[in-house]
Amino acid sequence: MITKWQNCRIPIKGRHFITGAVIALTLLIGHVKAGVLVAPTVVFMDEHKRTGRITVQNPSDEPKEITIRMSFGLPTSDSLGNVFVNLQDSGITDIKAATSWVKPFPRKMLLEPGATQVIRFVARPPKDLIDGEYWARVVVTSQEGITSLPNPTGEGQISTVLNMIMQTAIMLKYRQGDQIAHVKLNGVDAVHEDTLVSVIVDLSSTGNASYVGMMHCRLFNSDKQEIGYRRFDLAVYHDLKRRVTFPIASYKGGAPYSFELYITPNGRKDIAAEYLIRGNEIEYSMTLP
Amino acid sequence: MNKRGVGRKFAAVVVVAIICFSLSVTSVRAQDVATGTATATVLAALSVIAAQNLIFGNIYQGVAATVANNIDASSGIFNILGQGSAGISISIVLPQFIALANGSDRMTIGFSSTDATVDSNNTTPATVVAGDGWINTNPNNLPAGTVIGAAGQTNIYLGGRVYPSVDQTAGAYSGDIILTVAYNGT
Repeated sequence: MITKWQNCRIPIKGRHFITGAVIALTLLIGHVKAGVLVAPTVVFMDEHKRTGRITVQNPSDEPKEITIRMSFGLPTSDSLGNVFVNLQDSGITDIKAATSWVKPFPRKMLLEPGATQVIRFVARPPKDLIDGEYWARVVVTSQEGITSLPNPTGEGQISTVLNMIMQTAIMLKYRQGDQIAHVKLNGVDAVHEDTLVSVIVDLSSTGNASYVGMMHCRLFNSDKQEIGYRRFDLAVYHDLKRRVTFPIASYKGGAPYSFELYITPNGRKDIAAEYLIRGNEIEYSMTLP
Repeated sequence: MNKRGVGRKFAAVVVVAIICFSLSVTSVRAQDVATGTATATVLAALSVIAAQNLIFGNIYQGVAATVANNIDASSGIFNILGQGSAGISISIVLPQFIALANGSDRMTIGFSSTDATVDSNNTTPATVVAGDGWINTNPNNLPAGTVIGAAGQTNIYLGGRVYPSVDQTAGAYSGDIILTVAYNGT
Protein backbone atom coordinates (compact mmCIF):
# COMPACT_ATOMS: atom_id res chain seq x y z
CA MET A 1 0.00 0.00 0.00
CA ILE A 2 1.28 3.42 -0.95
CA THR A 3 0.03 6.55 0.70
CA LYS A 4 1.27 10.01 0.07
CA TRP A 5 0.45 13.34 1.67
CA GLN A 6 -0.15 16.29 -0.50
CA ASN A 7 -0.97 19.65 0.94
CA CYS A 8 -2.63 22.10 -1.39
CA ARG A 9 -3.90 25.60 -0.97
CA ILE A 10 -7.01 26.44 -2.83
CA PRO A 11 -6.26 28.62 -5.83
CA ILE A 12 -7.80 32.04 -5.47
CA LYS A 13 -7.71 33.08 -9.08
CA GLY A 14 -9.94 31.76 -11.81
CA ARG A 15 -12.96 30.87 -9.80
CA HIS A 16 -15.50 32.28 -12.19
CA PHE A 17 -17.52 29.81 -14.15
CA ILE A 18 -19.21 31.92 -16.77
CA THR A 19 -21.36 30.08 -19.18
CA GLY A 20 -20.90 26.52 -18.12
CA ALA A 21 -24.17 26.18 -16.35
CA VAL A 22 -26.02 27.59 -19.30
CA ILE A 23 -24.34 25.14 -21.64
CA ALA A 24 -25.04 22.22 -19.39
CA LEU A 25 -28.62 23.28 -18.92
CA THR A 26 -29.15 23.86 -22.60
CA LEU A 27 -27.80 20.45 -23.44
CA LEU A 28 -30.23 18.88 -21.08
CA ILE A 29 -33.29 20.95 -21.84
CA GLY A 30 -34.07 18.93 -24.92
CA HIS A 31 -34.60 15.87 -22.77
CA VAL A 32 -36.60 17.49 -20.01
CA LYS A 33 -40.35 17.02 -20.09
CA ALA A 34 -41.36 18.63 -16.83
CA GLY A 35 -39.14 19.45 -13.93
CA VAL A 36 -36.54 21.75 -12.55
CA LEU A 37 -32.87 21.63 -13.27
CA VAL A 38 -30.13 22.63 -10.84
CA ALA A 39 -26.49 23.39 -11.67
CA PRO A 40 -23.79 23.06 -10.58
CA THR A 41 -24.00 20.07 -8.26
CA VAL A 42 -21.44 21.39 -5.80
CA VAL A 43 -21.13 24.96 -4.52
CA PHE A 44 -17.72 26.14 -3.40
CA MET A 45 -17.15 29.11 -1.13
CA ASP A 46 -14.22 30.21 0.95
CA GLU A 47 -12.95 32.89 3.31
CA HIS A 48 -12.11 35.17 0.37
CA LYS A 49 -15.32 34.61 -1.52
CA ARG A 50 -18.13 34.28 0.92
CA THR A 51 -20.81 34.14 -1.69
CA GLY A 52 -21.87 31.37 -4.00
CA ARG A 53 -24.58 30.70 -6.48
CA ILE A 54 -26.53 28.04 -8.26
CA THR A 55 -28.85 28.28 -11.21
CA VAL A 56 -32.33 26.83 -11.15
CA GLN A 57 -34.15 26.53 -14.42
CA ASN A 58 -37.68 25.51 -15.28
CA PRO A 59 -37.63 24.10 -18.80
CA SER A 60 -41.14 22.70 -18.52
CA ASP A 61 -44.41 24.15 -19.80
CA GLU A 62 -45.83 24.68 -16.33
CA PRO A 63 -44.89 27.15 -13.60
CA LYS A 64 -43.01 25.61 -10.72
CA GLU A 65 -43.04 26.52 -7.08
CA ILE A 66 -39.47 26.43 -5.83
CA THR A 67 -38.23 26.49 -2.26
CA ILE A 68 -34.61 26.49 -1.11
CA ARG A 69 -33.48 25.36 2.29
CA MET A 70 -30.21 24.47 3.96
CA SER A 71 -29.81 21.01 5.35
CA PHE A 72 -27.02 18.65 6.31
CA GLY A 73 -26.18 15.23 4.95
CA LEU A 74 -22.89 13.53 4.15
CA PRO A 75 -22.34 10.33 2.24
CA THR A 76 -22.25 7.67 4.93
CA SER A 77 -22.49 3.91 4.91
CA ASP A 78 -23.79 0.97 6.82
CA SER A 79 -21.79 -2.08 7.86
CA LEU A 80 -22.55 -3.73 4.51
CA GLY A 81 -20.90 -0.93 2.59
CA ASN A 82 -24.09 0.58 1.21
CA VAL A 83 -23.61 4.32 0.71
CA PHE A 84 -26.44 6.75 1.29
CA VAL A 85 -27.15 10.36 2.17
CA ASN A 86 -29.53 11.10 5.02
CA LEU A 87 -30.67 14.68 5.15
CA GLN A 88 -30.82 16.24 8.58
CA ASP A 89 -32.65 19.50 9.10
CA SER A 90 -32.27 19.86 12.87
CA GLY A 91 -30.22 18.51 15.74
CA ILE A 92 -27.03 18.75 13.72
CA THR A 93 -24.02 18.07 15.92
CA ASP A 94 -21.25 17.77 13.35
CA ILE A 95 -18.73 20.55 14.02
CA LYS A 96 -18.08 20.78 10.29
CA ALA A 97 -21.67 21.75 9.56
CA ALA A 98 -22.12 25.10 7.83
CA THR A 99 -25.87 24.78 7.81
CA SER A 100 -26.54 27.46 10.39
CA TRP A 101 -24.37 30.21 8.91
CA VAL A 102 -24.92 29.92 5.18
CA LYS A 103 -28.12 31.52 3.93
CA PRO A 104 -29.75 31.23 0.51
CA PHE A 105 -31.50 34.09 -1.29
CA PRO A 106 -34.23 33.94 -2.41
CA ARG A 107 -35.78 31.04 -0.57
CA LYS A 108 -39.12 30.87 -2.33
CA MET A 109 -40.17 31.68 -5.84
CA LEU A 110 -42.56 30.82 -8.57
CA LEU A 111 -40.59 29.98 -11.67
CA GLU A 112 -42.42 30.55 -14.91
CA PRO A 113 -41.99 28.18 -17.85
CA GLY A 114 -38.58 28.64 -19.41
CA ALA A 115 -37.40 30.95 -16.63
CA THR A 116 -34.07 30.79 -14.88
CA GLN A 117 -33.36 31.97 -11.37
CA VAL A 118 -29.99 32.44 -9.72
CA ILE A 119 -29.91 31.46 -6.07
CA ARG A 120 -27.18 33.17 -4.11
CA PHE A 121 -25.59 32.03 -0.88
CA VAL A 122 -23.96 34.20 1.70
CA ALA A 123 -21.71 32.76 4.39
CA ARG A 124 -21.31 34.39 7.78
CA PRO A 125 -18.97 31.99 9.53
CA PRO A 126 -17.99 32.29 13.19
CA LYS A 127 -14.94 34.48 13.75
CA ASP A 128 -12.88 31.74 15.33
CA LEU A 129 -13.42 29.22 12.58
CA ILE A 130 -10.44 26.90 12.40
CA ASP A 131 -8.87 25.89 9.11
CA GLY A 132 -10.74 23.24 7.25
CA GLU A 133 -13.74 22.55 5.12
CA TYR A 134 -17.32 23.00 6.27
CA TRP A 135 -20.38 21.49 4.67
CA ALA A 136 -24.07 21.89 4.08
CA ARG A 137 -26.66 20.60 1.67
CA VAL A 138 -28.70 22.89 -0.49
CA VAL A 139 -32.12 21.33 -0.94
CA VAL A 140 -34.06 22.58 -3.93
CA THR A 141 -37.68 21.55 -3.77
CA SER A 142 -39.96 21.92 -6.76
CA GLN A 143 -43.56 21.12 -7.40
CA GLU A 144 -46.29 22.21 -9.70
CA GLY A 145 -47.00 25.87 -9.17
CA ILE A 146 -50.67 25.41 -9.85
CA THR A 147 -52.05 22.13 -8.64
CA SER A 148 -55.34 21.20 -10.21
CA LEU A 149 -57.45 18.68 -8.41
CA PRO A 150 -59.25 16.32 -10.77
CA ASN A 151 -62.99 16.62 -10.73
CA PRO A 152 -64.86 13.38 -10.13
CA THR A 153 -66.67 12.50 -13.31
CA GLY A 154 -69.93 11.68 -11.58
CA GLU A 155 -71.87 12.73 -8.51
CA GLY A 156 -70.85 10.80 -5.45
CA GLN A 157 -67.61 9.63 -7.03
CA ILE A 158 -64.12 9.96 -5.62
CA SER A 159 -61.00 11.07 -7.44
CA THR A 160 -57.39 11.31 -6.33
CA VAL A 161 -54.23 13.13 -7.21
CA LEU A 162 -50.76 12.52 -5.85
CA ASN A 163 -48.55 15.58 -6.10
CA MET A 164 -45.08 14.56 -7.12
CA ILE A 165 -42.63 16.78 -5.27
CA MET A 166 -39.02 16.72 -6.35
CA GLN A 167 -35.99 17.51 -4.20
CA THR A 168 -32.39 17.76 -5.28
CA ALA A 169 -29.82 18.00 -2.52
CA ILE A 170 -26.50 19.39 -3.65
CA MET A 171 -23.35 19.81 -1.62
CA LEU A 172 -22.05 23.18 -0.44
CA LYS A 173 -18.45 23.43 0.75
CA TYR A 174 -16.96 26.37 2.59
CA ARG A 175 -13.20 26.41 2.89
CA GLN A 176 -11.23 28.21 5.55
CA GLY A 177 -7.46 28.56 5.57
CA ASP A 178 -5.19 25.71 4.49
CA GLN A 179 -6.77 22.56 3.17
CA ILE A 180 -5.57 19.02 3.43
CA ALA A 181 -7.37 16.14 1.77
CA HIS A 182 -6.20 12.72 2.87
CA VAL A 183 -7.82 9.35 2.98
CA LYS A 184 -6.71 6.34 4.96
CA LEU A 185 -7.43 2.73 4.11
CA ASN A 186 -8.56 0.97 7.25
CA GLY A 187 -9.00 -2.41 5.66
CA VAL A 188 -10.52 -4.50 2.91
CA ASP A 189 -12.85 -7.43 3.45
CA ALA A 190 -13.44 -9.68 0.49
CA VAL A 191 -15.77 -12.64 0.29
CA HIS A 192 -16.24 -15.16 -2.50
CA GLU A 193 -19.78 -16.55 -2.48
CA ASP A 194 -20.66 -18.89 -5.35
CA THR A 195 -21.29 -16.52 -8.24
CA LEU A 196 -20.28 -13.29 -6.57
CA VAL A 197 -17.19 -11.70 -5.15
CA SER A 198 -18.08 -9.03 -2.67
CA VAL A 199 -15.52 -6.55 -1.36
CA ILE A 200 -15.96 -3.93 1.33
CA VAL A 201 -13.40 -1.12 1.32
CA ASP A 202 -13.14 0.67 4.65
CA LEU A 203 -11.93 4.28 4.44
CA SER A 204 -11.48 7.27 6.72
CA SER A 205 -10.78 10.87 5.97
CA THR A 206 -7.86 12.15 8.03
CA GLY A 207 -7.48 15.58 6.46
CA ASN A 208 -9.36 18.73 7.36
CA ALA A 209 -11.22 18.70 4.04
CA SER A 210 -13.27 16.08 2.29
CA TYR A 211 -11.39 13.65 0.10
CA VAL A 212 -12.82 13.67 -3.40
CA GLY A 213 -11.49 11.37 -6.08
CA MET A 214 -12.03 8.12 -7.90
CA MET A 215 -11.94 4.54 -6.70
CA HIS A 216 -10.87 1.90 -9.22
CA CYS A 217 -11.41 -1.75 -8.36
CA ARG A 218 -10.21 -4.73 -10.36
CA LEU A 219 -10.68 -8.45 -9.93
CA PHE A 220 -8.29 -11.00 -11.41
CA ASN A 221 -8.58 -14.75 -11.71
CA SER A 222 -5.88 -17.28 -10.90
CA ASP A 223 -4.38 -16.72 -14.36
CA LYS A 224 -3.98 -13.02 -13.59
CA GLN A 225 -6.59 -12.12 -16.17
CA GLU A 226 -8.78 -9.16 -15.32
CA ILE A 227 -12.34 -10.41 -15.00
CA GLY A 228 -14.00 -7.45 -13.39
CA TYR A 229 -13.58 -3.70 -13.19
CA ARG A 230 -15.58 -1.12 -11.24
CA ARG A 231 -15.04 2.60 -10.97
CA PHE A 232 -16.73 4.97 -8.54
CA ASP A 233 -16.81 8.64 -7.74
CA LEU A 234 -15.50 8.79 -4.22
CA ALA A 235 -16.19 11.35 -1.51
CA VAL A 236 -15.01 10.63 2.02
CA TYR A 237 -15.97 13.11 4.73
CA HIS A 238 -15.48 11.10 7.89
CA ASP A 239 -15.71 7.31 7.65
CA LEU A 240 -17.00 5.39 4.67
CA LYS A 241 -17.37 1.74 3.80
CA ARG A 242 -17.89 1.10 0.13
CA ARG A 243 -19.16 -2.23 -1.15
CA VAL A 244 -18.03 -3.48 -4.53
CA THR A 245 -19.44 -6.61 -6.14
CA PHE A 246 -18.22 -8.66 -9.07
CA PRO A 247 -20.50 -11.28 -10.63
CA ILE A 248 -18.21 -14.13 -11.64
CA ALA A 249 -20.57 -16.82 -12.90
CA SER A 250 -19.79 -16.25 -16.56
CA TYR A 251 -16.04 -15.94 -16.21
CA LYS A 252 -13.56 -18.61 -17.06
CA GLY A 253 -10.70 -19.32 -14.77
CA GLY A 254 -11.17 -19.64 -11.10
CA ALA A 255 -9.96 -19.05 -7.64
CA PRO A 256 -7.93 -17.88 -6.03
CA TYR A 257 -9.11 -14.47 -7.11
CA SER A 258 -7.14 -11.36 -6.43
CA PHE A 259 -8.42 -7.84 -5.89
CA GLU A 260 -6.70 -4.58 -6.69
CA LEU A 261 -7.71 -1.19 -5.39
CA TYR A 262 -6.53 2.18 -6.64
CA ILE A 263 -7.76 5.42 -5.12
CA THR A 264 -6.74 8.63 -6.81
CA PRO A 265 -7.71 12.30 -6.70
CA ASN A 266 -7.52 12.35 -10.50
CA GLY A 267 -10.24 11.63 -13.00
CA ARG A 268 -13.16 13.67 -11.72
CA LYS A 269 -14.96 15.34 -14.59
CA ASP A 270 -17.85 16.76 -12.64
CA ILE A 271 -15.76 19.20 -10.60
CA ALA A 272 -13.50 21.84 -12.09
CA ALA A 273 -9.82 21.16 -11.39
CA GLU A 274 -9.39 24.47 -9.59
CA TYR A 275 -11.85 23.36 -6.94
CA LEU A 276 -10.31 19.97 -6.34
CA ILE A 277 -8.01 19.58 -3.40
CA ARG A 278 -5.48 17.03 -4.50
CA GLY A 279 -5.25 14.35 -1.91
CA ASN A 280 -3.20 11.21 -1.62
CA GLU A 281 -3.29 8.03 -3.66
CA ILE A 282 -3.76 4.54 -2.35
CA GLU A 283 -2.79 1.30 -4.04
CA TYR A 284 -3.68 -1.98 -2.46
CA SER A 285 -3.93 -5.59 -3.58
CA MET A 286 -4.91 -8.83 -1.93
CA THR A 287 -5.61 -12.43 -2.77
CA LEU A 288 -9.01 -13.61 -1.69
CA PRO A 289 -9.09 -16.38 0.90
CA MET B 1 1.31 51.45 -73.00
CA ASN B 2 -2.16 51.72 -74.51
CA LYS B 3 -5.32 52.22 -72.59
CA ARG B 4 -6.27 48.54 -72.94
CA GLY B 5 -2.94 47.57 -71.45
CA VAL B 6 -3.40 49.98 -68.59
CA GLY B 7 -6.91 48.72 -68.07
CA ARG B 8 -5.69 45.12 -67.97
CA LYS B 9 -2.99 46.04 -65.50
CA PHE B 10 -5.50 47.95 -63.39
CA ALA B 11 -7.89 45.03 -63.51
CA ALA B 12 -5.11 42.68 -62.51
CA VAL B 13 -4.16 44.96 -59.63
CA VAL B 14 -7.79 45.12 -58.54
CA VAL B 15 -8.11 41.34 -58.69
CA VAL B 16 -4.92 40.90 -56.71
CA ALA B 17 -6.11 43.51 -54.23
CA ILE B 18 -9.43 41.77 -53.84
CA ILE B 19 -7.69 38.44 -53.34
CA CYS B 20 -5.31 39.99 -50.83
CA PHE B 21 -8.19 41.70 -49.09
CA SER B 22 -10.14 38.47 -49.03
CA LEU B 23 -7.17 36.62 -47.63
CA SER B 24 -6.61 39.30 -45.05
CA VAL B 25 -10.25 39.17 -44.05
CA THR B 26 -10.06 35.42 -43.89
CA SER B 27 -6.92 35.73 -41.88
CA VAL B 28 -8.53 38.21 -39.54
CA ARG B 29 -11.52 35.95 -39.12
CA ALA B 30 -9.25 33.02 -38.57
CA GLN B 31 -7.42 35.01 -35.97
CA ASP B 32 -10.70 35.96 -34.39
CA VAL B 33 -11.61 32.34 -34.16
CA ALA B 34 -8.20 31.38 -32.94
CA THR B 35 -8.04 34.02 -30.26
CA GLY B 36 -11.71 34.17 -29.33
CA THR B 37 -12.50 33.66 -25.71
CA ALA B 38 -13.76 30.16 -25.05
CA THR B 39 -13.75 29.85 -21.33
CA ALA B 40 -16.93 27.88 -20.84
CA THR B 41 -16.75 25.11 -18.35
CA VAL B 42 -19.50 22.57 -18.51
CA LEU B 43 -20.88 22.08 -15.05
CA ALA B 44 -22.59 18.97 -13.90
CA ALA B 45 -26.31 19.41 -13.52
CA LEU B 46 -28.91 17.43 -11.66
CA SER B 47 -32.59 17.32 -12.44
CA VAL B 48 -35.51 15.44 -10.99
CA ILE B 49 -38.66 15.34 -13.04
CA ALA B 50 -42.12 14.16 -12.20
CA ALA B 51 -42.94 12.75 -15.59
CA GLN B 52 -46.28 11.31 -14.50
CA ASN B 53 -48.38 11.35 -11.38
CA LEU B 54 -49.62 8.17 -9.78
CA ILE B 55 -53.08 8.00 -11.29
CA PHE B 56 -55.88 6.05 -9.66
CA GLY B 57 -58.66 7.67 -11.67
CA ASN B 58 -62.19 7.51 -10.31
CA ILE B 59 -62.66 5.17 -7.42
CA TYR B 60 -65.71 3.99 -5.49
CA GLN B 61 -66.72 3.84 -1.85
CA GLY B 62 -65.63 0.63 -0.20
CA VAL B 63 -63.68 -0.59 -3.23
CA ALA B 64 -59.91 -0.52 -2.94
CA ALA B 65 -58.07 0.55 -6.06
CA THR B 66 -54.59 -0.52 -7.07
CA VAL B 67 -52.13 0.83 -9.60
CA ALA B 68 -49.19 -1.43 -10.34
CA ASN B 69 -45.72 -0.04 -10.95
CA ASN B 70 -45.58 -1.43 -14.48
CA ILE B 71 -48.42 0.48 -16.14
CA ASP B 72 -47.24 3.05 -18.62
CA ALA B 73 -50.42 5.10 -18.43
CA SER B 74 -50.91 5.29 -14.67
CA SER B 75 -47.80 4.37 -12.66
CA GLY B 76 -46.04 7.26 -11.01
CA ILE B 77 -42.89 8.12 -12.92
CA PHE B 78 -39.91 10.13 -11.77
CA ASN B 79 -36.97 10.84 -14.09
CA ILE B 80 -33.56 11.63 -12.64
CA LEU B 81 -31.12 13.24 -15.06
CA GLY B 82 -27.49 13.86 -14.34
CA GLN B 83 -23.97 12.62 -14.81
CA GLY B 84 -23.98 9.14 -16.31
CA SER B 85 -22.92 6.32 -13.97
CA ALA B 86 -22.67 8.64 -10.96
CA GLY B 87 -23.79 7.16 -7.67
CA ILE B 88 -26.89 8.70 -6.18
CA SER B 89 -28.80 8.41 -2.96
CA ILE B 90 -32.55 8.43 -3.48
CA SER B 91 -35.37 8.36 -0.99
CA ILE B 92 -39.12 8.69 -1.23
CA VAL B 93 -41.44 10.05 1.42
CA LEU B 94 -44.84 8.48 0.93
CA PRO B 95 -48.14 9.63 2.39
CA GLN B 96 -50.17 7.46 4.71
CA PHE B 97 -53.39 9.10 3.66
CA ILE B 98 -54.74 11.57 1.16
CA ALA B 99 -57.29 14.19 2.05
CA LEU B 100 -59.96 16.47 0.71
CA ALA B 101 -58.81 20.01 0.12
CA ASN B 102 -60.87 21.28 3.05
CA GLY B 103 -59.55 18.53 5.31
CA SER B 104 -62.99 17.22 6.16
CA ASP B 105 -62.22 13.63 5.22
CA ARG B 106 -59.22 11.52 4.39
CA MET B 107 -58.49 8.19 2.80
CA THR B 108 -55.86 5.60 3.55
CA ILE B 109 -53.20 5.05 0.90
CA GLY B 110 -50.67 2.23 1.04
CA PHE B 111 -47.45 1.19 -0.61
CA SER B 112 -46.11 -2.33 -0.38
CA SER B 113 -42.49 -3.42 -0.23
CA THR B 114 -42.59 -4.19 -3.97
CA ASP B 115 -44.24 -1.06 -5.28
CA ALA B 116 -41.15 0.63 -6.75
CA THR B 117 -38.92 -0.11 -9.70
CA VAL B 118 -35.58 1.54 -10.42
CA ASP B 119 -34.73 1.66 -14.10
CA SER B 120 -31.27 2.85 -15.12
CA ASN B 121 -31.75 2.06 -18.79
CA ASN B 122 -34.54 4.54 -19.46
CA THR B 123 -37.19 2.10 -20.64
CA THR B 124 -40.84 2.33 -19.53
CA PRO B 125 -42.81 0.87 -16.62
CA ALA B 126 -44.20 -1.86 -18.85
CA THR B 127 -40.96 -2.83 -20.54
CA VAL B 128 -38.36 -2.58 -17.79
CA VAL B 129 -36.62 -5.86 -16.95
CA ALA B 130 -34.42 -7.01 -14.11
CA GLY B 131 -31.21 -6.17 -15.95
CA ASP B 132 -32.26 -2.52 -16.11
CA GLY B 133 -32.07 -2.04 -12.37
CA TRP B 134 -34.24 -3.21 -9.49
CA ILE B 135 -37.70 -4.57 -10.21
CA ASN B 136 -40.41 -4.46 -7.55
CA THR B 137 -38.29 -3.06 -4.77
CA ASN B 138 -39.29 -1.34 -1.56
CA PRO B 139 -40.14 2.36 -2.09
CA ASN B 140 -39.44 3.01 1.60
CA ASN B 141 -35.92 1.63 1.26
CA LEU B 142 -34.66 2.15 -2.26
CA PRO B 143 -31.44 0.37 -3.24
CA ALA B 144 -28.25 1.99 -1.99
CA GLY B 145 -26.29 1.09 -5.10
CA THR B 146 -28.39 3.18 -7.44
CA VAL B 147 -26.55 5.06 -10.16
CA ILE B 148 -27.67 7.41 -12.86
CA GLY B 149 -27.80 5.36 -16.04
CA ALA B 150 -24.89 5.46 -18.43
CA ALA B 151 -27.01 7.57 -20.79
CA GLY B 152 -27.58 10.13 -18.03
CA GLN B 153 -31.02 9.08 -16.83
CA THR B 154 -32.58 6.82 -14.24
CA ASN B 155 -36.32 6.40 -13.77
CA ILE B 156 -38.35 5.46 -10.73
CA TYR B 157 -41.71 3.77 -11.30
CA LEU B 158 -44.19 3.72 -8.45
CA GLY B 159 -47.39 1.85 -7.78
CA GLY B 160 -49.76 1.94 -4.80
CA ARG B 161 -53.28 1.44 -3.59
CA VAL B 162 -56.03 3.43 -1.93
CA TYR B 163 -58.63 2.13 0.49
CA PRO B 164 -61.82 4.22 0.39
CA SER B 165 -64.18 3.41 3.22
CA VAL B 166 -67.80 2.52 2.60
CA ASP B 167 -68.83 5.98 3.77
CA GLN B 168 -65.97 7.87 2.16
CA THR B 169 -67.00 11.42 1.35
CA ALA B 170 -67.21 12.02 -2.37
CA GLY B 171 -64.74 14.51 -3.82
CA ALA B 172 -61.16 15.03 -4.90
CA TYR B 173 -58.44 13.74 -2.57
CA SER B 174 -54.80 14.73 -2.77
CA GLY B 175 -51.49 13.97 -1.10
CA ASP B 176 -47.77 14.48 -1.61
CA ILE B 177 -45.06 12.10 -2.74
CA ILE B 178 -41.58 13.53 -2.20
CA LEU B 179 -38.55 12.17 -4.02
CA THR B 180 -35.13 13.37 -2.86
CA VAL B 181 -31.97 12.82 -4.87
CA ALA B 182 -28.36 13.54 -3.92
CA TYR B 183 -25.08 12.58 -5.47
CA ASN B 184 -23.18 10.41 -3.02
CA GLY B 185 -19.77 10.89 -4.64
CA THR B 186 -19.36 14.63 -4.26
